[in-house]
Amino acid sequence: MTARTGALDGVELALLISRVEGVARKMANTLLRTGRSGVLNIARDFSCCIITADDRLLATAESLPIHVLSGPDMMAASVREHHPVLARGDAFLHNSPYHGCSHPADHTLLVPVIDDAGVHRFTVVAKAHQADCGNSEPTTYMGAARDVYHEGALIFPGVRVQKDYRDVEDIIRMCMLRIRVPEQWWGDYLAMLGAARIGERELLALGAEIGWERLGDFTETWFDYSEARMRAALSALPSGRGSWTSTHDAVPGTPEAGVPINVTVEVDAAAERIAVDLTDNMDALPCGLNLSEACARTSAMIGVFNSIDPTVPKNAGAFRRIDIRLKENSVCGVPRHPTSCSVATTNIADRVANSVQAALAEMKDGIGMAETGAILPASIGVVSGYDPEKGEPYVNQLFLAFTGGSAGPHADAWITLGHVGNAGLCYQDSIELDELRQPLLVETRRFLTDSEGAGRTKGGAGMLVEFGPTRGDMAVAFVSDGTYNPAKGVRGGGLGGAAYQAIRRKDGAVEPTPNCAVVTLATGETIISHCCGGGGYGRPEERAPERVARDVREGWVSPDRARDVYRVALDGAGAVDAAETARLRGAAG
Amino acid sequence: MRFAVDTGGTFTDLLVEHDDGRLTMHKAATTPQDPIAGVIDSLAKAAEAEGVSLGDLLAQGDLFIHGTTRAINAIVTGATARTAFLTTRGHPDILVLREGGRKDVFDFTVPFPEPYVPRSLTWEADERIMADGSVRRALDEAALVGALGEMKAAKVEAVAVCLLWSIVNPAHELRIGELIEAHLPGVPYTLSHAVNPSLREYRRASSTAIDASLKPLMSAYMGDLTARLRAAGYAGRVLIVTSNAGVIDASEAARAPIHLINSGPAMAPVAGRHFAEADAAAETAIVADTGGTTYDLSVVRRGGIPLTRETWIGGAYRGHMTGFPSVDVRSIGAGGGSIAWVDAGGLLRVGPQSAAAEPGPAAYGRGGEEPTVTDACVALGWLDPDFFLGGAMKLRADLSRAAIEARLCGPLGLSVEDAALAVIRVATENMVQAILDITVNQGIDPREAVLIGGGGAAGLNSERIAARLGCPTLLIPDVGAALSAAGALMSELVFECRAALFAQSGAFDSAAVNAVLDGLRARCEAFIAEAGEEAVESRIAFGAEARYPHQVWEIDLPLRAGAFAGEADIRAMVADFHAAHDEIFAISDPESEIEVVSWTARASCRLREGKLPSLGVAAGSAAAPVSRRRAYFERVGWVEAEARRFEALPAGAEFAGPALVESSFTTVVVGPGATYRRTASGGLSINPAKGA
Repeated sequence: MTARTGALDGVELALLISRVEGVARKMANTLLRTGRSGVLNIARDFSCCIITADDRLLATAESLPIHVLSGPDMMAASVREHHPVLARGDAFLHNSPYHGCSHPADHTLLVPVIDDAGVHRFTVVAKAHQADCGNSEPTTYMGAARDVYHEGALIFPGVRVQKDYRDVEDIIRMCMLRIRVPEQWWGDYLAMLGAARIGERELLALGAEIGWERLGDFTETWFDYSEARMRAALSALPSGRGSWTSTHDAVPGTPEAGVPINVTVEVDAAAERIAVDLTDNMDALPCGLNLSEACARTSAMIGVFNSIDPTVPKNAGAFRRIDIRLKENSVCGVPRHPTSCSVATTNIADRVANSVQAALAEMKDGIGMAETGAILPASIGVVSGYDPEKGEPYVNQLFLAFTGGSAGPHADAWITLGHVGNAGLCYQDSIELDELRQPLLVETRRFLTDSEGAGRTKGGAGMLVEFGPTRGDMAVAFVSDGTYNPAKGVRGGGLGGAAYQAIRRKDGAVEPTPNCAVVTLATGETIISHCCGGGGYGRPEERAPERVARDVREGWVSPDRARDVYRVALDGAGAVDAAETARLRGAAG
Repeated sequence: MRFAVDTGGTFTDLLVEHDDGRLTMHKAATTPQDPIAGVIDSLAKAAEAEGVSLGDLLAQGDLFIHGTTRAINAIVTGATARTAFLTTRGHPDILVLREGGRKDVFDFTVPFPEPYVPRSLTWEADERIMADGSVRRALDEAALVGALGEMKAAKVEAVAVCLLWSIVNPAHELRIGELIEAHLPGVPYTLSHAVNPSLREYRRASSTAIDASLKPLMSAYMGDLTARLRAAGYAGRVLIVTSNAGVIDASEAARAPIHLINSGPAMAPVAGRHFAEADAAAETAIVADTGGTTYDLSVVRRGGIPLTRETWIGGAYRGHMTGFPSVDVRSIGAGGGSIAWVDAGGLLRVGPQSAAAEPGPAAYGRGGEEPTVTDACVALGWLDPDFFLGGAMKLRADLSRAAIEARLCGPLGLSVEDAALAVIRVATENMVQAILDITVNQGIDPREAVLIGGGGAAGLNSERIAARLGCPTLLIPDVGAALSAAGALMSELVFECRAALFAQSGAFDSAAVNAVLDGLRARCEAFIAEAGEEAVESRIAFGAEARYPHQVWEIDLPLRAGAFAGEADIRAMVADFHAAHDEIFAISDPESEIEVVSWTARASCRLREGKLPSLGVAAGSAAAPVSRRRAYFERVGWVEAEARRFEALPAGAEFAGPALVESSFTTVVVGPGATYRRTASGGLSINPAKGA
């Protein structure tokens, strides 16, 4: 380890990081178990982290990757910029994508940790996706928003929401008037506040016990350690350049050919550095797909961290080895107000992360990953309507199915990955719970045979979900990327299944719908939604025949596909026909 | 005479409560191929110690209480029955999809888990019931009979049936049960509404599948156990420990083996509650059971033992959820065998790898080259190499030191002693963090809780853990090395039932709720009526699984009574909910209404009068000779620490650390600054050093 004045040894470092990460975990546990909206406590769409006083990410609880790698640091900096004097008891509400937040639905509470001498030591951050953020339509993913005005979200660029540990009621009243289901927002606000205050309390106690100077020595040593681990991981990669293009489907506001995302990755193993260049991309679009700077940086980092030693700590120390090149006013760069970033955490961000990990995979067998399936299909759409039986409106995001896991070099996909920026943390809904919470019926939820990205290791299968209202009309909002551009495989691996959406009318007629829409279903009608599969890694002809036989027996792969794509022949009992398989594979080779 | 036998991974622990009031402890090696042999061995050891024949000993017995890992082992090793899964048409992938969730999000080397029942053994029943219990699509019986024929052809040995909304209207599941009996006679089956009538289809389906898959095996085990005990001369009642800290008759356990998943560890907090009350007058405790490879944690909160519905077999998100209320016991891979290593960045780590029993710590001299926590204790002089496990095994201190020297001293730049101390500190912190996780989730402040150390390795660093957590008291019970067996001796016959009925406090249908509670009470009363003569006192407690609107996780709320007489009763429940929510989560929303998802009742029958006796070793005197041993401690270095025998300590007198207190089952390390004394119940009570 690099010697530094006041550096801690490997024992003290182990003890203190365990305690600091314990604080972040305690915050997250509190938030998870007290949140009110389904987005928070079903989808686990939240994060907690600890930032140094000079705005560097120190430690996170296990959180959605797209939430936390970069962004909280920028938000903490913007709070300091706007509020030069911070006091104990302050809390700040932040959701501005122009000042470091991921997207406006991710309400974030930042609490400065001020020691007894009045010195700002850390900032604790609790961020949670809200069920609603006051958009002009009842969805937090407004793909068709022309700009932030059309989008309609209330924007809080680091606004003081507590002083002396008391709410600034003006802010609370604004939220209660402009956010649908205000009691859910209020419940989640209390949960975030509880989490942030617990983090503050624990860090104050830790500083008092260990000493603030020593804690400062710890953070620097921990950053050095993390950087050293990152250097070692990067030195194991092949030097060179790789490029990849992943195209987001066309939706209103984009060119008809969709949005190609071009990424170049450059590894310098000797210098132990990696660079991700996102500058070769189109300007911001008049729609809600544009990335915030936080999501542009974070999605690039996700692609990197998915491709290297997973035990490298993710913090500002490791980030020193990553260069991310962004362009002003780009669809995946630094947005200018009033560009809308309503859908910044998912669609284009996924195309960036997928491109980085796919580019790395193409550079060398054994690293990187295939593309993960895209979202947001109707199976995880936002449903809203009026329940005549309960006599009240409802709006909620469903998480009935989003699978799409991509194959990696070492294992088949983690099927329920959700999307690349989520990494599988999200829960998938209980049908009974959804049918209890909303007036709806889920007719079908099953995996689709032959929807996996074929490969030496295979991508996750897509799912078929069909649901509709049982009382009154129901609106379903979705932005279903992957309908025209399914997940690509790498190193010869195949495509994952594409997304698909259609309405089944009362007479049984099935009408396909646009991929980005708010559709209204009457009682007796249903929406049919396919979520994406994930891409495969390596050539399918290299997959072990026994595993292919198993895939067929378990209904993931049809016998025809086994023969045509994997080039494995099975006998009448479903066992591998070795001779015929050898012949097929020989012919393929 | 009563016997309590806990079959653990390494040892089978037996406690015998003799009719003359004595309590004795015996241990035999666990015999994984035939665990009942280990049970009989432990009884034979007790007979030998008493100088009587096994038959004569057993003939005196009236209660035999058994905790067994048989069910969980069968699942982990894939030895369960070939089971079919039958569910509602359109939803065949409930067991594949689970509820999503993942951990270690950047690690893509972990494969997606296989479903508990493969897709190739899954069938769909053409039927659909709605959330309100109405039938949308009637059961297609002809098609179902066809499916049963396919199951027969597939040589299915058990059937798990879980239909959507069967908890509201079980008619289709019940009819399917009749059809299984008619078309697959003799094949055991489980219906989800009967085994676990709770909301959320994955959890219920998982309970159902696990239960069905265990039926052939556990029914054979229970039959075999009872027959062999009878053959050896035992004529009394055979009771089995369940996951919810109760016991049930062996025949009942065979009918619903899902209740046995956590049989064993679930008893540790029962014992912990007893000792916290008896020796520290405390209602809240953290119970830590330390084995060679795992550290099992549970808690007692204000006299109650919290349950969780999120019990996983094989780890969160990667294994299978039992879906069933169980004592909240969490395990981390930490113990005497945990390996210490220095990572590529120079950071000292302890575990999760373990030297296990083979080769074991370096000190065992069986070829282990990696330093373990046990080796650190040997190098520090805390463990006496000549008196390990009461002298049953000699340890090699030179090998411990050599392993630490070779693997740790260089990279850490520390002496052997300081490196060993560092290993203890990191291992301690790992355990502390695990305790903080469970206490924050259960709303417990460790500074107001007693720490109970059980298991053979508890004494090594429990004082340090207590000091770090700020626990005012650490208790090491005299039966700590067999904590679960001790809990079994204090356990109660328990029957739990539940019914789903959604209710909102703002629009409360008292009549409907009371009807549900009456139904639960009747089932509890029927259970109590059949509890048998050992039951000296019975009671019924009611509860509600309640939440704020829009929350999705419920908390278990005890009800004041089994009926709602009027508005005041409803308001009282709501007020209790706010208080409970505030206690667990540190926030509440007093203006909000609440929702109840389901209603529960628990009948419990106390099986004993009076307290558990102590092991009854005669108290020593202050004049007993004290030996000294060289031991190394933080800040003070090498000292000649007092080494005392457990049984030589006079009751009540206070002693100061540093000291090593030893029995045949464990060694308790008391650091400088801490004090200790023998408790009335025969254990050790330690006031940890402050500010460690």
